[in-house]
Amino acid sequence: MLLNITTFTGHLHPLIVHLPIGFLLLAILFELVSYFNRFKELKVAVPFTLFLGFVTATLASVFGYLLSLGGDYDPQILSDHKIAGIALAVVSGLLFLLTTPPFKKTVEANRRLFSAAYVILFFLVNYTGHLGGSLTHGSDYLSLDLISEKAPQKPLKVEEALLFEDVVQPLLNKRCAQCHRDGKLKGELSVQSFVALMKGGKSGLAVVGGSLEKSELYKRITLDPSNEKHMPADGKTPLTPGETSLIKWWIEKGMAMKGIKMGDLKDADEIKPFAAQFLELGESSINTEVITKSENKINPDIPSVFNSGLIDSLRNEGLNVRIMLHQPVMLDITIPAGSGNKMNRIIGNLKTIAKNVIWLNLSNNGLTDTDVDFLPLMTNLEKLRLEKNPLTDQITKALLGLNHLEALNLNETKITRAGLEKLKQMPNLKRVYSWKPVNK
Amino acid sequence: MSDNHHESFRLHSPEFDQLNKRLDRRNFLTKTSLGLGALALGSLIGNRVLGKVPGAVTNDHATVTLEEEILRAIPHFAPKAKRVVYLFMSGGPSQFETFDYKPKLAGMFGQSLPDSVRQGQRLTAMSANQSIFPVVPSAYKFSQYGESQTWISELLPHTARVVDDLCIIKSIHSEAINHDPAITFFQTGTQLPGRPSIGSWVSYGLGSDNKNLPTFIVLVSKNAVKDQPLYSRLWGNGFLPSEHQGVQFRAGKDPVLFLDNPEGYDGKDRKEMLDYLSKLNTMQNEPYGDPEVQARISQYEMAYRMQTSVPEVMDTSGEPDEVFELYGPDSRDSGTYAANCILARKLLEKDVKFVQLYHQGWDHHGGLPAGIKKQCKDTDQATAALIKDLKRRGLLEDTLVIWGGEFGRTVYSQGKLQTNDYGRDHHPRCFTMWMAGAGVKPGISYGETDDFSYNIVKNPVHVHDFQATLMHLMGVDHERLTFKFQGRRFRLTDVQGNVVRDILS
Repeated sequence: MLLNITTFTGHLHPLIVHLPIGFLLLAILFELVSYFNRFKELKVAVPFTLFLGFVTATLASVFGYLLSLGGDYDPQILSDHKIAGIALAVVSGLLFLLTTPPFKKTVEANRRLFSAAYVILFFLVNYTGHLGGSLTHGSDYLSLDLISEKAPQKPLKVEEALLFEDVVQPLLNKRCAQCHRDGKLKGELSVQSFVALMKGGKSGLAVVGGSLEKSELYKRITLDPSNEKHMPADGKTPLTPGETSLIKWWIEKGMAMKGIKMGDLKDADEIKPFAAQFLELGESSINTEVITKSENKINPDIPSVFNSGLIDSLRNEGLNVRIMLHQPVMLDITIPAGSGNKMNRIIGNLKTIAKNVIWLNLSNNGLTDTDVDFLPLMTNLEKLRLEKNPLTDQITKALLGLNHLEALNLNETKITRAGLEKLKQMPNLKRVYSWKPVNK
Repeated sequence: MSDNHHESFRLHSPEFDQLNKRLDRRNFLTKTSLGLGALALGSLIGNRVLGKVPGAVTNDHATVTLEEEILRAIPHFAPKAKRVVYLFMSGGPSQFETFDYKPKLAGMFGQSLPDSVRQGQRLTAMSANQSIFPVVPSAYKFSQYGESQTWISELLPHTARVVDDLCIIKSIHSEAINHDPAITFFQTGTQLPGRPSIGSWVSYGLGSDNKNLPTFIVLVSKNAVKDQPLYSRLWGNGFLPSEHQGVQFRAGKDPVLFLDNPEGYDGKDRKEMLDYLSKLNTMQNEPYGDPEVQARISQYEMAYRMQTSVPEVMDTSGEPDEVFELYGPDSRDSGTYAANCILARKLLEKDVKFVQLYHQGWDHHGGLPAGIKKQCKDTDQATAALIKDLKRRGLLEDTLVIWGGEFGRTVYSQGKLQTNDYGRDHHPRCFTMWMAGAGVKPGISYGETDDFSYNIVKNPVHVHDFQATLMHLMGVDHERLTFKFQGRRFRLTDVQGNVVRDILS
């Protein structure tokens, strides 16, 4: 119970700490501007403002001490901040004391000397505040180095990106380093460098190459979000599925360290889209949900750019166009039986989208070998139905280049055994149907 | 007919005027407040973020509803199956006499089922009070068939010959223990009536590939023992728009009831009447905005197109003798299971997306050996013929065939065990189904049951898992096809279901 009150009031420190800063700076300002005739009335406000500064500085020191009990801060900066904070409270208290009746007269006599003390107070406020900021935001948060620092060179291609330096490290910095950093060290863990990461934290090793079970970091980010131990903690942005996959892959592959390019890694294809997304390269509209869920390999030759207006125009011609996939666009097109006479009108559009046609059904349309001379353009076809058309062995020439073709329906055509024999050299063709051949 | 002619049909009673006004005000408020809200939201979080919020309206057109947004994302991945034919063996076929070979039972005839197997699990009221649960092995012999050397009962000689095309799942399990809840569970994902059937979800999610025929067609065998009823709500659309309900085709002169024109009424009159009716309905739809009116309009139009398409597809007279021989002697008698199988093939050839056959009579609480023999005889040849026929036509490529009942049967005999007669009670904890065709591995058996086919020992497949797998093969992520009804979003698998990836080819 008591512990909870301690924690609660400790957490009030970041709130209350801004009050003495404001009051004391105001007191200093009033003191200094009261030298000008125009503002000389402000002199009387200084003692009261100073008093408020003293009281809140004392409170802030107490709360700050309670917060420091929660631990996990860089001890050196913490101790400096503590000393500076207490000094600030004491100095402001003393200065207030000097404005009270017993000392007032002496002070009035040497006014300029005491004004100098306010300037010292000014620097003390700034120093303490800066140390406090370094504790919460990191010592490099407000640093002169920032001015001279160059923006990291962003890789232009996923293949050129370094797995750890360009992807994993920035990812950890983005999602975890707000709390797990040098100087803050929540759970005694810092993710800011490879060395610190390997050291692990209070709960053990953060990452263990090749073992997801032993990697506390991976366990935490994949816990159920309702679990108290889930990371990032409540209110912080969780990792996207893509980002989780990147971390997972990196750990599983034994944590390739320095200077390894994505392009040089074996079987990195599965995570390249995520890396590209993280680096904001290429297609920004990748739907991670779709990618994580479709484990079927998608033929990379299918063009990703597609004019969807063509689908409507084909449908208006009576064709049955079924979208099998949106990205890339994969189409299943059926030309209804008995509409072979429409071929002339649709052939142009069919040729334009040829590479997006994955399944094609031309059955029972009275088509001859010359009617289907566009087939070699449809290099991504996987299933082709040509049954019930007066096609002959000539057609095999048009088919031989279809390297993705898996199933071919030649039922009730004039194809002979010799023609079928020729198809055997097709690399991916698994099933050919040749039931009820039509004799000439 | 002038364009404002129908103005006279518009209702101008005080109530209607009131309704119109109210709708207008409501419309105005909804549209403007949403618009302002969206504007504010958009500028607050920026387009990039907004675009990535899952489920959020990512489109600029404010008119896109949540439903349209969901449907637009389908298919979620490239489908393997384009059509489904689901052979529903209603009543609960025994796995012991068909697919789940249990040789160790042979020596245990009449012995009591060990408590360690049953572990106090609930039984139906029909056999729970039995003083003894005598184990009974299959009365029929099993042999191995095909390259896969799968054990199949002698009751299924034809199925045995196509076993290398089947993916037999021996570890299906259900939650319901009685017929109606169990069938409803299989069809809708919930034991209580009221949710859409699988075929309706498929129709709603994927639409039609043949605008002249319904997307979801149901055929019920006439030559079956009607020991348990089938209700048409099993192929109902639930809360989905009603054009997605299954349409039952019957045997005989009128395959679809009330489809023909009344006597002395020709097609032209009909068309004119329907056009006019459609206008009236559109008007009605304006004040009410009830999607059911829209559904009614599209159903009338479908019915009109079916006047020509249905007689054509139902006419099997053009089929060669060889086909009737393949499907067996029953197949010439329309309305039988075998004839329905031929019809199913014809419908699939026409790209009807979901065809479901029902064959009742598998509920063998007593007299099982004779009963199941007849059931198998009525269905075995035609089932195998459907596989063969689809395969040789190249249709098994993209057609998924499913065979199965709503639950299995118990290892112990219900009622008195006699030397050559016994019965079996309902058993939902494990039973056998098979799938074949598009996207499933052929010639495998998946999942294992214990020696009593009482509990599953390996790879259980829940009804929701089966449904999720079916949807997956059609290119639909079962978790993402939802419909909002009465304040909450529903889906076929409700909050469960995992795709059985091990059986996907």
